[in-house]
Amino acid sequence: MPHYPEGTVRALLESDHVTPATRTALESRLAAPAHYEAQFFDADTYALLRAVAARLFPQPDRAEPIELAPAIDQRLLAGRADGWRYDAMPPDREAYRLGLGGINQTAEALFHQSFVSLPAADQDAVVQALADGQAQSTNWAEVSQKYFFEELLAELTELYYAHPLAQEEIGYVGMADQPGWQRLGLNEREDREPPEQLSNGVAE
Amino acid sequence: MPDEEILEEGVLNPVQPEIQDPLLQSLLAENEAWAASTEQEQPAPLPDPTDEVDCVVIGTGAGGAPLLARLAMAGLRVVALEAGPRRDPKTEYATDEKAQNFLFWNDERLSAGRNPVAFGKNNSGTGVGGSTLHYTAYTPRAHRGDLQLFTDFGKGVDWPFGIEELEPYYEELEHFLGISGPTPYPWDPARRKGYPLAPLPLNGAAQLMQRACAQLGIQTSPAANAALSARYYQEGIGWREACTNRGFCQAGCNRGAKASMDVTFLPLAESYGAEIRAEAFVTEIERDAQGRVTGVVYEQHGQAVRQRCRHLFLCAGAVETPRLLLLNELALTSGQVGKHFMAHPGMQVWGTFPEDIRPYKGIPGGLISEDTHRPKDADFAGGYLLQSIGVMPVTFATQMVRQRKLWGQPLRDYMRQYNHVAGINILGDCLPHADNFLELSDEKDARGLPKPRLHFTAQENEQRMNRHAEKLMRRIWEAAGAKDIWAFERYAHVIGTARMGLSGDDAVVNADGRAFDVPNLYICDNSVFPSALSVNPALTIMALSLRTADKFLANLR
Repeated sequence: MPHYPEGTVRALLESDHVTPATRTALESRLAAPAHYEAQFFDADTYALLRAVAARLFPQPDRAEPIELAPAIDQRLLAGRADGWRYDAMPPDREAYRLGLGGINQTAEALFHQSFVSLPAADQDAVVQALADGQAQSTNWAEVSQKYFFEELLAELTELYYAHPLAQEEIGYVGMADQPGWQRLGLNEREDREPPEQLSNGVAE
Repeated sequence: MPDEEILEEGVLNPVQPEIQDPLLQSLLAENEAWAASTEQEQPAPLPDPTDEVDCVVIGTGAGGAPLLARLAMAGLRVVALEAGPRRDPKTEYATDEKAQNFLFWNDERLSAGRNPVAFGKNNSGTGVGGSTLHYTAYTPRAHRGDLQLFTDFGKGVDWPFGIEELEPYYEELEHFLGISGPTPYPWDPARRKGYPLAPLPLNGAAQLMQRACAQLGIQTSPAANAALSARYYQEGIGWREACTNRGFCQAGCNRGAKASMDVTFLPLAESYGAEIRAEAFVTEIERDAQGRVTGVVYEQHGQAVRQRCRHLFLCAGAVETPRLLLLNELALTSGQVGKHFMAHPGMQVWGTFPEDIRPYKGIPGGLISEDTHRPKDADFAGGYLLQSIGVMPVTFATQMVRQRKLWGQPLRDYMRQYNHVAGINILGDCLPHADNFLELSDEKDARGLPKPRLHFTAQENEQRMNRHAEKLMRRIWEAAGAKDIWAFERYAHVIGTARMGLSGDDAVVNADGRAFDVPNLYICDNSVFPSALSVNPALTIMALSLRTADKFLANLR
């Protein structure tokens, strides 16, 4: 599995390979405060959202995980959309309310505890039931678990891979596009594109 | 159903109304400040300026911009109204997918049917330049057979004219925009004129597809793309610089190398006196007792503004155009407004390769094959083309999880192979069908207007085409050496909903683009397409736009 050297993206952001507009966008994500006070969700629901996000994007390799829940809280607070919604789904705020509630109900049904108090393996079992469309609880009569799972996963995925450190993790340095790319073909790499490493840190 | 806020356990009652657009929020905030400052006063009547322009054009994308320029060059006084803002790509565009979300039409649309179509970044733009700000720059021409599906297959409908009506405009556009492509064009070698610029260089995905297709006996070629492979002189703005292979066409070109309308037809139009008003969202189309359009009302910076006009050109795309017609109960006699919504089958097949690909570099659609335009073994009407795909990480990851539903460690592990992933896709014809349509829902947006609901279900013809294409693309990727191959069924582009035809009984506009019901209303965008075509639509929308202007000007004389 490919690994890429740490520090690549931060170093590139300080170079002329990145335009000012691009630098501003990415540095704001790197500088996001570690602590976030939820404004849309109440504290318990926000903790539940964070716990679910931590199972969909486990980050045991990071001392400070990339926080994904704040952007969802802010989006719902502002009422922003992404241009479309499954007609079968209620409006986003309602869908999150019902869906997160449904996850807690499923945790109670399977393990007689709230989702946040479960060990990781049991939390994963709850998520798997949802992913399989097999979660049993009353809220899923009001919101499609298939679509809720898809929408939640897609939103978290967009947030995670928009983060410069997640982009570094997968070897993406497209943000460093100045003055352009000349070596485009198979196995062609420019100097500023990091080489793959074996997991022990040696270049392949 | 309106977005009623329900006080429920676990969710604080949100203080703010349901607003989807940060721009709108600021507009509403301004509005509130204005309302507070004029407390107790009655709302002022809408000013009724006597100033009447020759033409108002609603929308500045591929449908509106070319005709705006044509009309201005003919000496007419023209005003374009664009719902979105005007931005400077050189200083304001970031090479970052999330930061570029402002390019997309993010007001919520409701997607129904068995294959609900994604909107927003999938196909819908806003801003001065419209969806061309984020189109991939694919510019293949339609083929003769695309316009006569009914004649050839007894299915779908024919266009009210043949390809010879579009060919002179294709030629003009290819040279004006500076299309980079192969000459001669392998699937249409008899063209009078070749492309003005050589093709753009191939990236890793294009090379893989080229290699595998050669093994399988499928002809390929570097594709025609509206991005400059060399500096090019642009009438109206001077020199446009060559593409630097940023691979970022779908989230905005910051260099002016991609021929979006903001760097081509719109500056040309302005140099001939056209006026473009940004952040102007049209809500009303006003008429006189005879049913002629007299002007429009739009919202701009929290104010309602009226603009009188002698002629109206509605070029707002295949969702907002029928939505405006339905809201204003305009041109509805045929019963076709909102009907026959079509979306191109755009199935993608992805695979993981041992080679280092780095899919963020180079023009995304570098390689094309049109051998499948009319496949010999087809069990469906029409056909499709094949394209290689470059892809940015956020777009790739979100599509992948929607299809594969990977989560947890397997998701992160899969994404670590991003630099080894390459894709191909199709762009296939779609037959019009009565079950696929747009309607106004009961749910309101932040302006208080009904949200559009679009029903789409892939019918038998699209399903057969998808099966044919998936099988072929899997074969190609296996031949190229891919592992872990997976397919993503998707539908691209928004087409139909105000079709063009020979009779007002079954079409909204005539062959010139003029509404049968309203003599001074023209419609020009992908909504007038009677059938979907088996090619990416932007070039044909622009060709129709120039043709509509020429027909209008001829009628005027």
